[in-house]
Amino acid sequence: MLALHFLRALVRINQTSDPSRCIVAQRSRRIKLAAYASIALAAGRRRAWSRAVLCSLHGRRACRVRALSRRRVSSGKKAKGVHPTEQREGGGQVGELRRLVPGGRSMELCTLLEEAGSYIQCLTAQVQLMNMIADSMSK
Amino acid sequence: MQPTSREMQGMPPSMPSMQPPQQQQQQIQGAGLQQFDDTGASSHDDFFDQVLSSLPWADLNHGNAKSPWDLPGGQKLEQAMGEEGLRYTAGPYDESALLASRLRQHQISAGAGGKPMVLQINHQAAQQQQQQQQHMLLSAMGRSAVGGDSGLLPLPLSPGSVDSADSRLLVDRSRNDADPPFKSPTSSGGDGLYNGFAGSLQEAAQAAAAANAQHFHIPQGGALPTQNFGAATAVGMGQTAAASGAAGGGAAPPRQRVRARRGQATDPHSIAERLRRERIAERMKALQELVPNANKTDKASMLDEIIDYVKFLQLQVLSMSRLGGAAAVAPLVADVPSEASGGRGGGGAGNQAAATAAAPGGGDNLTLAEHQVAKLMEEDMGAAMQYLQGKGLCLMPISLASAISTATCHSRPGIHAGGGNPAAMPHAPAANGDAPTSPNMSVLTGQSAMANGDGDAARPSAKDLLMWHNFNDDVTKLFLLELLVKLCPARLSSSRTGFGPGRPVSRIRTIKENKEKNRCQRHHNL
Repeated sequence: MLALHFLRALVRINQTSDPSRCIVAQRSRRIKLAAYASIALAAGRRRAWSRAVLCSLHGRRACRVRALSRRRVSSGKKAKGVHPTEQREGGGQVGELRRLVPGGRSMELCTLLEEAGSYIQCLTAQVQLMNMIADSMSK
Repeated sequence: MQPTSREMQGMPPSMPSMQPPQQQQQQIQGAGLQQFDDTGASSHDDFFDQVLSSLPWADLNHGNAKSPWDLPGGQKLEQAMGEEGLRYTAGPYDESALLASRLRQHQISAGAGGKPMVLQINHQAAQQQQQQQQHMLLSAMGRSAVGGDSGLLPLPLSPGSVDSADSRLLVDRSRNDADPPFKSPTSSGGDGLYNGFAGSLQEAAQAAAAANAQHFHIPQGGALPTQNFGAATAVGMGQTAAASGAAGGGAAPPRQRVRARRGQATDPHSIAERLRRERIAERMKALQELVPNANKTDKASMLDEIIDYVKFLQLQVLSMSRLGGAAAVAPLVADVPSEASGGRGGGGAGNQAAATAAAPGGGDNLTLAEHQVAKLMEEDMGAAMQYLQGKGLCLMPISLASAISTATCHSRPGIHAGGGNPAAMPHAPAANGDAPTSPNMSVLTGQSAMANGDGDAARPSAKDLLMWHNFNDDVTKLFLLELLVKLCPARLSSSRTGFGPGRPVSRIRTIKENKEKNRCQRHHNL
């Protein structure tokens, strides 16, 4: 699933950038975005971080509104829990984790840890996939 | 009951309301317990001592006094308790509330509901000797409580030790002072005692018992305490606050019950807190399995590991994407050194326009690349950097590269630890050559390092880091070095040149600055 998305995105990037001369950085950025999109797609909409990633990538207003409303609702419920959580538990580290995990700003520590777990899983899978691709390309 | 009336008279006036039931108990327990009457007027401490001393004593007596006390006394007790309950639920609980915890109020309020429990319990008690013992103790406690303290907490009673709870109550009471509060707290405490006793004796959690059970945690196995006295004394020594956790004689269930009971003091919050903490612990454990090198037991260090790993993974994705970007720009050249066991040979070695002499084949490529880069460096650092980048290579201090290569235990001709003193000068590189005759480039073919493939836990990550050789991003570079240094601290520190974390970063920075300048110029030119 992950590979499917990613390879499709890669092909698309190759096709679009071949004709025109492309700066490496731009292309790299596109690939990176494609990677994140593919892992978000693979994770599905069940995960808060995947939703956040997809929304940030697509930038669709509807998606954003939906996500925001969802986040607002959840944060409203847990608003009490978010701040004391941040302050109490390992303050700086939790903030760091929030920054790293997409969409982690409005999560409780509990959900944050859960999201971090799935995020790590998907990232590892993506890295493995990219390794395999690079290996096969270079051989 | 005449004796009771007599004893009532004998009881100190300060405890009129509590006297009747306790009088009954006194009577039931016989002469030995009469000492309580005498000391009734004295301070609660005396009562405490009395009770404690009387515990073994009462034990001796239970043969005598139990039977008479059971049925008639029990009934009286019920009646008295009923009266008491009615009286004391309406009574002045304010003082006790101030002094004691809300728990007591709960108990007191539940006392009315607990009355039927008491009735049933008394019936049950009639059947077992152990219950009789408890009754005795309870009555003894109650009496001492009567004369006793103010802020006595009706502590949760563990199934195995009603008496321990009683003694705890006693302890509490002994600690408190002030005669005036004696009445209400004692009354409430006595009530609580009875309720607690009832609750603890009750095995089946009945509807009425539910209220008590909440406070007293009584999923009793049905086994009544056999060694109440020992437990009681032991707990009596303990403190009330600690007693909840140290539930004398209690097994794990009573302890948990006690804790939950305590939590009930601020009911929803502490329970929710505990649930939340448990969930967080679960998640942390799950994360521990995901993150490598997660043998840390400390939560803070575990969080650090997690954060670092997420950063590392993100950087890997970034570098791979850069690799892909660079590699796809130009056709892939089979630039892999022959000795390399596969590997990607410098990320596909996409040759850019600047790379002219890169003829595919054997190990020549690397030398060629080195020469090329050296040439470029003499003219323009930026171009050199771009050339390297196009090849998917990076510049690295010699010490670091050599340290890493020795760490990976693989001597690869492909790895030339070049002494980059790139900050020095474009013209300088040739002069900075070290013992190796190779030029001063440090051209690390990441994949070749990767191919070393040892089982070392730290190495895979080092190799992975070496994979990304795109250093467009400052953060990437700095982080790369940071991570490398972190991963191989021991090796690096042992390196001959005294490699330190500060130096390579500065070097890279200078490289980057030059590169940035050049790149900007180029962009402007373009």
